[in-house]
Amino acid sequence: MKNRLRVLRAEKNWSQADLAQKLEVSRQSVNAIETGKYDPSLPLAFRLARLFKMTIEQIFIDDESS
Amino acid sequence: MFCMPKTPEERRYVGRLWFAMTAYIVATFGATWTFKHHHPRGASMYLLASLPALPILAVLVIVGLYLAELKDEFERSILVESSLWGTGTALALATFWGFLENYGTVSTIPMFYVFLVWWMSFSLAQVLVRRRYK
Repeated sequence: MKNRLRVLRAEKNWSQADLAQKLEVSRQSVNAIETGKYDPSLPLAFRLARLFKMTIEQIFIDDESS
Repeated sequence: MFCMPKTPEERRYVGRLWFAMTAYIVATFGATWTFKHHHPRGASMYLLASLPALPILAVLVIVGLYLAELKDEFERSILVESSLWGTGTALALATFWGFLENYGTVSTIPMFYVFLVWWMSFSLAQVLVRRRYK
């Protein structure tokens, strides 16, 4: 699933490792989500949304609705 | 699987594996030595012969515990997929070899090699599955 994670992370000036630490996941997990190769579960998507103070829809792009 | 354990779950996993492997070596040498020098009979013979299998079964439990304790869902998904590849490969090779044995085309090999095949395929699958996400 496409997402704006890389841009949002860059705006905060966080590295993948920084974001991984905040989410308590591995850096590989962040990379896999950013590149759209791995879709996070709903709880992890909510954690991301809370971290960026956004809604899930503002971070993840639903290909089917566009 | 990995060089240096980073998270507490990984450290527990590696520690438990080391414990199980040490127990396996001790049980294997102990059972072999006892069979050679004391020739056990009856129930003790069965008990002693099955002793090396217990740490191997413990490894399966340890992998299960690691899956349950893992907080990182992405890492868990890699491990689950890899274990399925390992299980599939071990079952496929065991079935294939079983039929070859059945028709006398190959010699019989001990059943415990199935676990070794599972472990090797499980480990290799982790490397291959991870590459997909790079």
